[in-house]
Amino acid sequence: MAIYRRSYKPYTGALTATWSRWLVLFRYARRNLFRSKVQTVLFTICFFYPLLCLGGIYLAHNLSFLAQIGVSGNLISIDNRFFFRLLAVQGVLAFLLTAFIGPGLISPDLANGALPLYFCRPFSRAEYIVGKSSVLAITLSQITWIPGLVLFAIQAGFAGPRWAWDNLWIAGSLILGSLIWIAILSLLAMALSAWVKWRIVAGALLLAVMFFGAGFGQAINAVLRIESGYFFNLGYLMAAVWTDLFRIESEQSLSAGDAWIALLVYCVICLGLLVRKVRAYEVVR
Amino acid sequence: MKDRIVFENVSKFYDEILGVNHLNLSIPPGITSLVGPNGSGKTTLMNLMTGLVKPSRGQIYVLGCRTDDPENLFKMVGYSTQFDAFPKGLTGFQFLYSYLQLSGRDSHTAEQLAWRAIERVNLRNDAGRNIAGYSKGMRQRIRLAQALAHDPKVLVLDEPLNGLDPLARSESIALFRAAAELGCYVIISSHILHEVDVISDQVILLSNGYVVAEGQIQTVRSEIQEHPTQILIRCTRPRELAAKVIESELASEIAIHNDGRGLLLKTRNSDNFYLALNELALNGIEIESVTPADDDVFSVYEYLIGNEEVVR
Repeated sequence: MAIYRRSYKPYTGALTATWSRWLVLFRYARRNLFRSKVQTVLFTICFFYPLLCLGGIYLAHNLSFLAQIGVSGNLISIDNRFFFRLLAVQGVLAFLLTAFIGPGLISPDLANGALPLYFCRPFSRAEYIVGKSSVLAITLSQITWIPGLVLFAIQAGFAGPRWAWDNLWIAGSLILGSLIWIAILSLLAMALSAWVKWRIVAGALLLAVMFFGAGFGQAINAVLRIESGYFFNLGYLMAAVWTDLFRIESEQSLSAGDAWIALLVYCVICLGLLVRKVRAYEVVR
Repeated sequence: MKDRIVFENVSKFYDEILGVNHLNLSIPPGITSLVGPNGSGKTTLMNLMTGLVKPSRGQIYVLGCRTDDPENLFKMVGYSTQFDAFPKGLTGFQFLYSYLQLSGRDSHTAEQLAWRAIERVNLRNDAGRNIAGYSKGMRQRIRLAQALAHDPKVLVLDEPLNGLDPLARSESIALFRAAAELGCYVIISSHILHEVDVISDQVILLSNGYVVAEGQIQTVRSEIQEHPTQILIRCTRPRELAAKVIESELASEIAIHNDGRGLLLKTRNSDNFYLALNELALNGIEIESVTPADDDVFSVYEYLIGNEEVVR
């Protein structure tokens, strides 16, 4: 046995707060996101419709301008339907953006076997998932409820506090409707990329789940003459929730409550798939 | 327990597959090498030690800290996995810097520690390059750097010498020695047995998930009774000495060395043999050297795990 001087001195400086360490992942993943020109262009396109809506709000309150061009003042009605349409358009764009950026968050780490490097630090699996999903959550927030709230605030500024107070629930619906959509998209994209590990295939699979799910649901409804097939149609479920949140009458076959439950079940399944795959070591039997 | 890495009756099963079984270890400071054939449980043991996999049974304490307490464990532990894996798109510096931030260092400290670790592994000129463009040896070194960047007291290194050229290899060994001399615990798994022999203070031999032997290699060798100790004697008159050794009945086998300038013999009682050799040498035979021929890791490995794959 060798004789050692035992002069080891451990690091005694302050450590950053545990809760904040997932932000390191967020910073790096976010920076990588905008290295891709396609993703940057797509992200920019996502602001076109909110800008159009901004113009609409301005015109709706600029009666003299409307009069000059010979259009009646109530051409554009700024109400719950206006914000529902905004969320519907932005929701589609959020889905496309997720299909581009979601699979690239986790699959390279899994494909390269880099997870042990993350977990041999004071860093948990939950923090890893939070760190990675926060990139999607924040990016999708920037194109859904944040511009929605900005437009709501501008409209409130034009229409006055009375309108704002009477329609405050629309702001709540915007936030809640966006968050559930962001949650389902983020979890689905990450769960698929964790299982497939191949970025392009995971992106394609996300599109397939959305579109083939809808087709499969319709086929079940048609063949079995039931309406439970809609549970496979994520877009339909989301629309059912949004129409309920924005108090819009619809001819949806599923109730909002059923749609909520189905979406939450999807979230739990995706989370389960994710937790099962995001491990320091994958045991191959 | 506070100054040892302790395994108390630890077993790990991946469902029906055995990882390791009934491990009872107490690892002191210094360089400890894990030796065993593929699938013997070396990496599982390292993953258990670092909390990356949970034991199916038993307890593990790293300097008194439980392995399910990553916040405290990884203040003390640095791990370099055997996999050639890195997050995509990072330079060598960014890799160390970001992982130090994940370990809770602020940006200023992380930058300082990252540069220091880069210099320790001699990668300063390549720190700004993307890791994807590194050679195998450079990737091995940057992986080693991330393990030691935060000054851990316990360094767990899975196959750290693989892919290194001789110069980088000797630099790495010097790094391990320096860490051990500071009182750190350096746990290494390696297939390169002659290097294990040179650098290790103690070895742990694993086979099929069980610990076959542990301790200083000479001590382990002396306890293997079924294989006589081999001794090489360099002398001027080997035939004459061979005759006297046969007379003394202390050796079970004797052979004249190929070059005719020595004897290679096997004895079951090496202590008595060494005592008797003094008397034999007094009768005019000039003995140049007496060296044990099989108290190295390779021989012990071959004796204990002989029916397994032998790797040199």
